[in-house]
Amino acid sequence: MQELVISASNLCVNVKEKQILKNVSFSARKGEVMALLGGNGAGKSTTIKTFLGLMTPSSGSVSLAGVNVHQQPDVVRQKVAYLPESVMLYGHLTAIENIKYFLSLSGKQKTAGDIAEALQRVALQEASWNSALAGYSKGMRQKTAIALALLREAPILFLDEPTSGLDPVAIDEFNRLVKQLAAQGSTIFMVTHDVYGACHVADRIGLLHNGEIVGMFDAPEHGNIDSEVVHKAFTAGARNE
Amino acid sequence: MSWLDICRETRFVLHKKSVALVLLVGFLLALFSVWTGSVEVAQQHATIERMQKADELDQAGVTKRYDEAGLLAYYTFHLTYAPPSSLAFAAAGVRDVYPWKHRIRMLAIEGQIHESDTQNPELAMVGRIDFTFVIAVIAPLLLILLLHDLRASERAAGRLDFLSITARTGYSLWPLRAVVVVLTLWLALVLPFIAGAIFNGVSAGLILSVIFIALVYILLWSLLCYWVARFSFSAPVLASFLIGFWLLTTFIIPAVANVAIDKGFHGPQGGDILMTQREAVNDAWDIPIETTMQAFVVSHPEWADKTQVKSLFEWKWYYAFQQLGDEAAKPLAQAYQQTAEDKYRAAGWVAWLSPATLLQRTLTDWAHTDAKAAWRYEQKVRDFHAQLRHFYYPLLFSDDKYHAEVLDARPVFKP
Repeated sequence: MQELVISASNLCVNVKEKQILKNVSFSARKGEVMALLGGNGAGKSTTIKTFLGLMTPSSGSVSLAGVNVHQQPDVVRQKVAYLPESVMLYGHLTAIENIKYFLSLSGKQKTAGDIAEALQRVALQEASWNSALAGYSKGMRQKTAIALALLREAPILFLDEPTSGLDPVAIDEFNRLVKQLAAQGSTIFMVTHDVYGACHVADRIGLLHNGEIVGMFDAPEHGNIDSEVVHKAFTAGARNE
Repeated sequence: MSWLDICRETRFVLHKKSVALVLLVGFLLALFSVWTGSVEVAQQHATIERMQKADELDQAGVTKRYDEAGLLAYYTFHLTYAPPSSLAFAAAGVRDVYPWKHRIRMLAIEGQIHESDTQNPELAMVGRIDFTFVIAVIAPLLLILLLHDLRASERAAGRLDFLSITARTGYSLWPLRAVVVVLTLWLALVLPFIAGAIFNGVSAGLILSVIFIALVYILLWSLLCYWVARFSFSAPVLASFLIGFWLLTTFIIPAVANVAIDKGFHGPQGGDILMTQREAVNDAWDIPIETTMQAFVVSHPEWADKTQVKSLFEWKWYYAFQQLGDEAAKPLAQAYQQTAEDKYRAAGWVAWLSPATLLQRTLTDWAHTDAKAAWRYEQKVRDFHAQLRHFYYPLLFSDDKYHAEVLDARPVFKP
C-alpha cells in the first residue's frame, strides 16, 4: 500500500467568528491526483492555504508526507510546490529570470539546459523565454509557473484553479502534464470548479459544500458521481456568497 | 541563509527600477551634501586665510602709523576665529548661527561678542542639506519608500503566498530582502561621505564612528519599517503611518520642544548685554574720572598708585571704563550663557524623543560645530582679550616709554 502523503484529520478552520472548514478529513497517497470541487465560498482556498501553512487550524491537523505543516513549516516548504490561481510572477523579469529567481529562493539550482527543457515541456514558445513577463498572457504565465514547479521537483503539488482562464488546448496540455507528473510519483492536490477536468485527471474527487466534505469519489466511480450532489454543492455555495 | 541567497536578493533588488531610483536619489543627495559641505569648509578656510593676511597688513600699517600704546590698542584689530574641524563638512551644525570669526579690539569685549543674538540654535538645524541632514532626515524617508510595501506590494500583486511557500526558509526572503535594501541604501549614503572624509582629512577612527552610527540609526528605522510592513494593511496605509511617525519625531517634536524651551527658559538677549555694556561705557564719559578709576582698581589693585589722570583724556582712563563696561555686563553675560546651556540641556532631553535630533547632536558634537563648540570659542575670545589687556595695561599705566619692539610680545590668537 502506498504511503499517505496528504492528510487532513478533523480539520476545522475559523476566520474571526465564522467557521470556514468543519471537520474535514481526507487523504491522498503517493502518486495520486486529488481534486476538491466546490462552489464559491465552499472553503476550497482555505483548505489549500491551511495545507500550505498560510492559515492555522482551529482544531484538527494537516500533514504532508508525515510532517505536521504548522509544526515544521520549513521542512514542509521543501516538499511542496504551489501553483496559485492567478500566477503573478515578476513582470519586470523574463520567464528565465523568474524561474532562476524562484528556484534560487527555494534552494534549488538548475542548469540553463534544465530550464530550457522544462519550458519546452510546458510548450512555452521559445521566442518568449527572454521577454519580460509583463507582456505575457495568463496562459503563458501559467506555463512558466508550471515549468518552475517541474524544475523544483517537489514531491507534492498544490494547484489552485489551475485551468481557470486557459484555452481548451492549453487545458488538455495541462491535464496531460498532471497525469505525467503523477505517474512519476508526484502527489497532486488541486481545487477547482472544473468538474469535467477533475474527472479527467483526478484519482479521487472530494466535494466540498459549506466547509464540509459532502462526497468522496475514487476514479472508477467517477461515472457514478451523483450529479445532484455536485449540483447542490455548487449552487448552495453560490447562494452563500 | 547562504551566499547564493544574498546574491539573489541583491540582484533582484538592484534590478527593480523603483529601488534603483531611490538608491540613486540617496546617493546623489549624499554626494551633493558632501560636495556642498566640502565647498563650505574650503570657503571658511579661505576666509580665515584671507583675513589673516589682511589682519597682518592692517596691524603692520597701524604699528607704523602710531607710536602711542593707547592709539595702537584702539586702532589695532585682532583676528579671532574657530577653524572648521575636518568633520565639519558633514555636520555644519550652528556655525552659520553662532559667529566663528571676530575682529576684536581692546574695547569692551562683551559687546563685540554679542553683536548678534541667538535663540536656542541647537534645534534650528533642520533644513540644511549637509550629510547629517541627509542621514538624520532624508534616510528614514528613503527607507520608508523602500520598505513600507515590502510585503504589501507583493500582496497587492497576488504574489505573497506564492513567495512565502516557495522560500526555502522563513529567513531567506523577507528579512534577507530587507537587509539587502538597507545595506545597499547605507552604502549609497556613506560612500560619498567616506570619499569626502578622506578628502577633508578626517581620521580613520572618526570615519568609522560616523558610518557606524549612521548604520545604527538606519537599522533602527529599518526595524520599525520592517515591523510595520508585516501588518496586513495596504501600502498607502502603511506608508502613511510611517511618514506620520517620521514627521512627528523629526519635525513636530523638535518644533514644539523649541517653542516650549523658549517659553520655559528666560534669560537676557545678546542685545541686552550689548546695551548694558555700551551704556556703562557711555556713562563713564559723564562721571568723574576718579570714580571710574576707583572702581577699576578693585579688580586691578596692582595699578592703584597709577590711576591719577592729569589731563582731560588719558588712554588708561579710557580703557579702564571699557573694562568697567564689561564688568557691568558680566552678570547678564553669565545669565545669557547659563540660559543657553539650560536650553541646550533641555533640548538634549527632548532629543531622546527625536532620533533625528539625537543623531544631529551627536554628529555636530563630534564635528565641533555644535553650540558647545561655539561657547568654547567665545570663551577663547574672552581669554585672548584678557591677554591683550594684560599686555597693554603695563604700557598704559606705567611711566615706561613705548617702543615698537614691545609688540613682539603682543599676544596672537591661537584657535
